[in-house]
Amino acid sequence: MVTGAIAVMDAVNLLQNPFGYSAPIWRLFNEAPHAGAFPAVAPDIATGTASTPAAPATLRLQARIRDSRVVDTRFRAHGCPTTIAVGAWIANWMVGRDVEELTQLGARVLRAELEIPDDRAHCALIGEDALQALLSAIRGISA
Amino acid sequence: MPYFDHNATTPLDPRVLEAMQPYLTGPYGNPSSVHRYGRAAREAIEAAREQVARAFGAQPGEVIWTSGGTESNNLALKGATEGRTPTRVLYGITEHPAVLETAESLRARGWGVETTAVDTQGIIDWATFSVQLAREPVRIAAVMVANNETGVLHDVPRAAALVHSAAALLLADAVQAAGKIPLDFAASDADLMSLSAHKLYGPKGVGALFKKAEVQLSPLLHGGGQEHGLRGGTENVAAIVGFGAAAELAQIELAARQEHLRNLRERLESGLRARSGVTIFGERVARLPNTVQFAVQGWEGEALLMALDRKGFGVSSGSACSSGKGQPSHVLLGMGIPRDVAYGAVRVSFGMENTTQEADRFLAVLDDIRAAVAAA
Amino acid sequence: MIYLDYAATTPLDPQVFDAMLPYLAPGGADLLWANPASTHAPGFRARAGVEKARAQVAALIGAEPGEIVWTSGATESNNLAIKGALEFRGLDGAHVVTSRTEHKCVLDTCRYLETRGVRVTYLKPEADGIVTPEQVLEALTPQTALVSLMWVNNETGAIQDVERLAPLLRARGIQFHVDAVQAAGKLNIDLHATPIDLLSLSAHKLYGPKGVGALFVRKRPRARLAPQIHGGGHEQGMRSGTLATHQLVGMGAAFEVAASRREDDARKLGDLREALWQRLSVLPRILRNSPSSALSAAPHILNVSFEGVEGESLRASLPGVAVSSGSACSSATQEPSYVLRALGRSDEQANASLRFSLGRLTTAAEIEAAAARVIEKVQWLRELSPLWTP
Repeated sequence: MVTGAIAVMDAVNLLQNPFGYSAPIWRLFNEAPHAGAFPAVAPDIATGTASTPAAPATLRLQARIRDSRVVDTRFRAHGCPTTIAVGAWIANWMVGRDVEELTQLGARVLRAELEIPDDRAHCALIGEDALQALLSAIRGISA
Repeated sequence: MPYFDHNATTPLDPRVLEAMQPYLTGPYGNPSSVHRYGRAAREAIEAAREQVARAFGAQPGEVIWTSGGTESNNLALKGATEGRTPTRVLYGITEHPAVLETAESLRARGWGVETTAVDTQGIIDWATFSVQLAREPVRIAAVMVANNETGVLHDVPRAAALVHSAAALLLADAVQAAGKIPLDFAASDADLMSLSAHKLYGPKGVGALFKKAEVQLSPLLHGGGQEHGLRGGTENVAAIVGFGAAAELAQIELAARQEHLRNLRERLESGLRARSGVTIFGERVARLPNTVQFAVQGWEGEALLMALDRKGFGVSSGSACSSGKGQPSHVLLGMGIPRDVAYGAVRVSFGMENTTQEADRFLAVLDDIRAAVAAA
Repeated sequence: MIYLDYAATTPLDPQVFDAMLPYLAPGGADLLWANPASTHAPGFRARAGVEKARAQVAALIGAEPGEIVWTSGATESNNLAIKGALEFRGLDGAHVVTSRTEHKCVLDTCRYLETRGVRVTYLKPEADGIVTPEQVLEALTPQTALVSLMWVNNETGAIQDVERLAPLLRARGIQFHVDAVQAAGKLNIDLHATPIDLLSLSAHKLYGPKGVGALFVRKRPRARLAPQIHGGGHEQGMRSGTLATHQLVGMGAAFEVAASRREDDARKLGDLREALWQRLSVLPRILRNSPSSALSAAPHILNVSFEGVEGESLRASLPGVAVSSGSACSSATQEPSYVLRALGRSDEQANASLRFSLGRLTTAAEIEAAAARVIEKVQWLRELSPLWTP
C-alpha cells in the first residue's frame, strides 16, 4: 500500500512544480539522467570535479572516451536542484560529441538552456568549471 | 427588524460569503509557506489586491492589508511620524476616534497636535486650515472623505492641494465613503487613504491602507515581513478574499446602490422635515446617500434609541465606537451644535436591504413615541 | 499531499466553522453580524457571542475572561505585550531580556525598541537548545522591565521552563511575557497557578480562523500596557477597533474544542511523532534536533537534520509532503538558526533540516508514507553526492 502511494506520488511529482523552478531544471532534477559513477580509475574514463565553498556545492563529471569521442557519461552532484540539473544536462549533452565540441559549452549556454535565474547564476559557473576540469582530464588521457 | 445602522456595520453579501468559503473550509496554508497550499493562498491575496485597487482607483502596489479601518488610520498617522523629528499633526475636529485618538497619542512623542475647525455644516474651515498649514511645518493632516455620523462629504482634492503646498501628507479616511460614493484614490490626490471591508458588505477583520509609492511609512506591527515589511503577521486569507469580492461588487453596483440609498434618505428626510422640532445635521451640504443624523427637540438621544430599539429599529446616536458612553458627539459639538441638541442626536444609516416601507414605518413609530411621551 | 506543517497553520475545524457562520452570514432574524459595540438588540446579541468566546479562550489557559484582550493575531499580541509594557513603564533606561530563538515578531519588536533607546539582552540557548531560568536570572539588571520567552520553540518543539521561571520573576517584581502560540492546546497552561503577566495566543495554530489572536493581560497584580492601536477605546482601552465577531467566536470555539481534547491529542501526537522518528532512524547519520524526553518537548514537532544532503534539494525532492525547513523562521534574514547552532549543528546540517509538525488529522499511514518518501529521497541524494561515503 505504501509502495503504491509512493508510485502515485512519483507520477504526481513530475506534474507538480510547487517551488517555481524553471521547467528544464525541474525535469532534470527529477529525472537526473546519467546519475551515477564509473570506476574511478580506468584507461578510457576521465573525471572532472569542481566545488564552490559558497553554496556549498560539488559537481563531478565523468566521460568514457573512445577515438576522441564521448561515448557515455555519468555525473554526481551535491547542491541545490539547479546544480543537480546542470550536472544532468551536461552529462546528457556530452554523449556522442567530439571532445573538441566540449570546449564550446560555457556558463552562458547553460543559463539559457536551463533558464537559470540571476540568483542561481553560480550554478552555471560550477557546471562550466566541472567541464573544464573534465577537459583537462581528457587531455591527460590522450597525452 | 429594520436595521438602519449600516455605518456601524453591514451584513455580508451572500456572494462575498461564497467567494470566501473555499478559503475558510478549503485549502489551508500560511501564505508565507512555500509549498503548494501556501502558493494558492498567496495568489488569492494578490487577486484580491487587484480587485480592491481597481474598485477604488489605486494601483495594487499601493494597497496594504490591515485588520480594519482603525488599524489603517493608526498605521497612517504613526507610520508617517515614527522615527522622525517631531513637527505638527493636524486633524479635522470631526474625525473618527481612530484618527483623533491616534493623533492625540502623538503628543507624548513630542509632536504638536492641532485640530482644524469646521463650519456649522461640518465642512473644514478652509481658510483656517490654510493658515494652520502655513504657520509651522506639518508632517501630516487628516481630512475625512465622509463623516460617519453626519455623512458630510469633503472635497478631498481641495484638501490635498492645500496640504501639499505645505509639503505635508494628507490622510483621507475613506472608511465610510468606499462603496457608497465614487471613490478614486488617484484622483483624490490623497497620500494615504483608509478603508474597511465590513462597511461595504464585506467581512469584519480586514481593511486596507492605500499609500502612494513615494510615501515612507514605518510599520506598526513588527515581525514576519509581510506587506513588504509594512505590516507583519500571517495574512487573513479568507477575509482578504472577501474584501476583494465586496470591493468588486461595490464598483459594479455603485450607481444602483447610490440610487436606492438616496431614495430612502430623501423619503426619510422629507418626512422628518414635515414634523416639528426636527433638526437634520449637515443638511445643506453634500452627504453620503444613506446617512441622516438628526435630533428631535427636547429628546435625549439614548432614550429615543432605546425606544426605537424596543420597537424593533436598529439605529445609533453617533458612532458605534463611542455609543453608550453618555457623551454628546464631538462631531456635533465641533459643528457648533448646542450640547442639549447634540444629546438628542439619532443616526439612521440605510443599507441595500432596507425598503421605503421601513422608512415610512420609522416615521410612524417616531410619531407614536412622541405621542406616548407627550401624553405621559 | 501529506500535510505535516501544522505548526505553520492548521485547517479550520468544521465545528468551529459552524460556530462562526451565524455571526458571519447574512439572513437570520437575530442579525448576529451586527457591530458588538452597537447599543441595540442585534448589537447586544453580537456582544454576547464575543463575551462567550472570551470566556472560552480564558478557560483553556486558566485565566479570567476580563484578562483576555482580542487582537488580530499572535504577531500583534507580541507587539502589544512588549511595546505596551515598555511604553507604559517609560522607555528611559529600560532593559528587556529575551532570547535569540524567539519568533521574528518578538525579535523585530525588540530591535525596534532598541532604536528608541531600550537595552535588550538576547540570550543564547544552551547545549540543549533552550534558555534556562538560571540564564535569565543572571541577565537581570535593576532596570529590567520585561522578560519575554516563548513557551515552546516553534522550530524544534523544545519546551522552555517558563513555569519554573515565572515565580522567580514575580518575586523580583519583573513583568513576564510568554509567547504561548505553540504551547496552547498542547501543554497544560494554568495561569491561576503560574504567575505569568502577559501571554500571546493565536487562533489559526489551533484549528481556528486566521486574523484573530489574543493577549492575556493579568488583572491581579495588574499588568499595565500602553495601547498600540488607538481609537474608540475597545478592549478596556487596550486595543481599539471594531471586533470581528465571527473571528472571535471562531477562536473561542476552537479553544473550547482544544480544552476538551488536549490530553488525548497530546498523547496521540507524541506517539505519532515517535513513530516518525523510529521510521526515519533506519537512515544512518541523521540528527534529532527536537528533545527526546516527553517532559522537554511539545508533542507535535519533530525537527531532524539529514547529513550529506543539501537542504534545498531535500525539500525540492518532497513536493508531495508539506513540511517546513527546519529553520524557516529565521530564514527570511538568512541567519543560521540559533537553536540548531546551540545544538552544535553545522551550517550544512542546519540547512538540511526538516521540521515535521503533526496535527489532529495526521494518521499513522501518513507518517509511514511520508517517512518512506523522505528515506527514499535522502538515500537518492546521498548516492547522487560525490562527497557521501556510506
